[in-house]
Amino acid sequence: MEIGDCYVGWATDEDIRTRGASGGLVTAMLAAALEKGLVEAVVVLKKLGEFEAVPVVTSDPEEVKAAAGSMHSVPIVLSRYLEYGTKVALPAKPCDARSTIEQAKRGQVDIDTTYIVGLNCGGTMHPAMTRKMLDVMYKLDPEDIEGEEIDKGKLIFETKDGEEHAIKIDELEEEGYGRRESCQYCFTNIPVMADIACGNWGVIGDLAGKGTFVEINTEKGIEILRNAIDSGAVEVTEADEKGKAIRAKVDGAMMKVAAAANEKYLAPIEGSHLDYYMNALKDCINCGACKTVCPVCACGEGAKCTEYSSAADTYKMSLFHLVRFVHLMDSCIGCGQCTDVCPADISLTHIYQRFARPMQDEFEYKPGMDMTTPPFFGVDLLEEGH
Amino acid sequence: MNETIFTTVCPGCSIACGMYVREKDDGTIDIDWRKDAVVNAGKLCRFGVRLSANLKNATSRVDGNEVEFSDAVTAAGKAIGDGATFISVGNTTCAEHLALMKLAESKSAIVNTGMGAFSSIPSECHPTMGVGVPLDAIENAKKIVLFIDPYEQYPLLVRRILAAKKNGATVTAVGWKAVSLADENKTIDPANYESDLDLDSDSVIIAELNPSTDPARVMVLLNLAKASGAAIMFMKPFVNAVGCDIASKKTDQKSLDQIIAEINDGTIKTLVCLDSDLIEIMPDETAVREALGKLDNLIVITSRASAITDVAKIVVATEPFYKKAGTVVNAEGRALHNSGESTDGIDAIGAMMGQPVGMYDEIHATLLATLGIDEVDERVIPTYEKPEYGAMDANPTAEAVETALVYAGGPFFWNGIVDDNDFVEMNLDMVTANSLLKGIPAKITSDKGEVAIKYKVSDVAPGVVLSNMKLPMTTGMVTSVTVSR
Repeated sequence: MEIGDCYVGWATDEDIRTRGASGGLVTAMLAAALEKGLVEAVVVLKKLGEFEAVPVVTSDPEEVKAAAGSMHSVPIVLSRYLEYGTKVALPAKPCDARSTIEQAKRGQVDIDTTYIVGLNCGGTMHPAMTRKMLDVMYKLDPEDIEGEEIDKGKLIFETKDGEEHAIKIDELEEEGYGRRESCQYCFTNIPVMADIACGNWGVIGDLAGKGTFVEINTEKGIEILRNAIDSGAVEVTEADEKGKAIRAKVDGAMMKVAAAANEKYLAPIEGSHLDYYMNALKDCINCGACKTVCPVCACGEGAKCTEYSSAADTYKMSLFHLVRFVHLMDSCIGCGQCTDVCPADISLTHIYQRFARPMQDEFEYKPGMDMTTPPFFGVDLLEEGH
Repeated sequence: MNETIFTTVCPGCSIACGMYVREKDDGTIDIDWRKDAVVNAGKLCRFGVRLSANLKNATSRVDGNEVEFSDAVTAAGKAIGDGATFISVGNTTCAEHLALMKLAESKSAIVNTGMGAFSSIPSECHPTMGVGVPLDAIENAKKIVLFIDPYEQYPLLVRRILAAKKNGATVTAVGWKAVSLADENKTIDPANYESDLDLDSDSVIIAELNPSTDPARVMVLLNLAKASGAAIMFMKPFVNAVGCDIASKKTDQKSLDQIIAEINDGTIKTLVCLDSDLIEIMPDETAVREALGKLDNLIVITSRASAITDVAKIVVATEPFYKKAGTVVNAEGRALHNSGESTDGIDAIGAMMGQPVGMYDEIHATLLATLGIDEVDERVIPTYEKPEYGAMDANPTAEAVETALVYAGGPFFWNGIVDDNDFVEMNLDMVTANSLLKGIPAKITSDKGEVAIKYKVSDVAPGVVLSNMKLPMTTGMVTSVTVSR
């Protein structure tokens, strides 16, 4: 097994294979990592309802197995729950993986002891929007939903009576529903920065729907997959070239959709930039939730954005936001967490991305893609001889 | 490190935002966002975000000495006799409030919720004063009139009002400070509300009812709602004020001012406060402290440390709010259930009247019956009867004086917490007239004393010094003051 190898795999346990997405390989691999002592803990989403799950850091393989299955309506970034020094694995959408890497660059995560099991992602949805969408677009009671999946550009909900209800995602998004805005303009669908990238794109033939396509990206990726195979939790077969081509094609199609969304949402600001930002932030209630939930913020309690700003200030724009703009210029990955939690419903991710993208483009720096490029505000202390 | 995750609501105000509390083995907590919460879609104001930093657990004490929980319960049981007065403003679950009602009943007393306005206003108005409208209804209103500042007092209303504006609503604010989301900010004589505001059945009036609210102002607003057909919502500063008011219906409530007066004249000798800190809640902190000092027994049953736990004779420190088994009813009338299963507080109150442990099930059943529901479902608001009421004669006390320090209120204010609220606001005319300098604190002087405090220039009404933090020189929610450099 080598870096760059691609496989299609599945869980050997029938229960995990049935309940987990695409043959349950990711669940089986994470559980095996715990069972065989490769890691001390796994971060998973503990399901509380069809649209509700809460992240837990667990050492119990059964809890990992119980978390099997995808949840597109639980848009949470798991990297915030990592603790430095713990040997840990996490299932990671591209924004989970990218924020883990950004935190590692800032010394908050030990990348050598963190196994990033990447998951392909075409986007997630806010649960409140999902419930409304079910009511308005699908004419379904959210309480009747028993499962969901995205397949061939359609968002499919399964009701308790076993029926499937599908609508094209394009159609939903035209009506203001579907994926969160930040997911629509995200270019990273396959987590190439993770140790191992998993998903259902490229699984064809008899294995379609029953297997997970896996690409090995790092030595840790080899380690965690090898551990699962050796323990008997997972079986794999080599991916064929046709599958690889289909996977690349799906990714390319998603990129085109993202490019269109970028034109729509992130066009250059016209007129006064100050006026734009002042207006966009005028309803801010100074809660600090955007910073608290930000998975790339590494400043903690003594952060400059909070230390040097006060509700008593009367500046045109608060120093809190100004400092955050600067801090996020080289680290915002557009995960959407800040928008999700903003109590004034300010599209913060949109605003931060509009500020950050021109700089990231100019410096050709895409945050969270690898450990080799330091943040463009970063200084490599070792190279400087410190 | 292992942790236990509780699904609960923020205790900051009567919106009752859904949230998670993550409790680690060492007892420290973090909050987390519950995005599927029907009330707030996981969004929290600064109070909720900073809850873990500001929430301090209480310690059981008797006569100032730390004691075991059970010893404090025993001491409280002995000290609470007939003639005791009970207060629970709504900072705990319905179950604990109902348990206290049982205890009070056993002493031939009632539990006061502190909302004195209920006793001054005809009972047919109480359901309208208690339960407001669904928060979704705000988004669908055509016209919204604010008698509150949503940014400061009830921040999670901001998104609802902004959504209404997107849907075409117009927003008028009537208050001490201009509200930026309002299409117009007005100062209106209460006598002219009806003619100036031009409301109809598609309108929503949002106001506040707190323990210091002048009942006449409530009556004026009820009259306005009745005459125009507009819906009305009285927000309350306490998470379960609505639930506690529903539980305590038809009882002869005393206002907090009455209770303080009766302590001062010696009528009340023993006071039992359930998660109700009068030092924090009442505007004249000095007067409250003096009165509490005259009691033979001040018994505080509480889930958090606060000013009153330092002066109480007996402190019964119950489990934190997020751990309690039980339900709260928010400003919409929506019942919301904690995932916590602890009944320590209820059992302690039961023990004070010799009841065996295990009252919770019976009490919870009583609550469900009162609400007319079989089970708590956060997505279904129980049905509330709101009878017709007649127009009332009301003459609100004039609040304006030449220069007045006015308390704005807000979660930090009502919980006695200094956070980002350590300044006052006034308009530029007042700053200029009093020759205040940038960066130099303003001196605010009343008959009771003086403070020097940071100030901020805001679009505040002439003559008003607005504060969201309790200051020691105030006598009420509005205090006559002078401002100087």
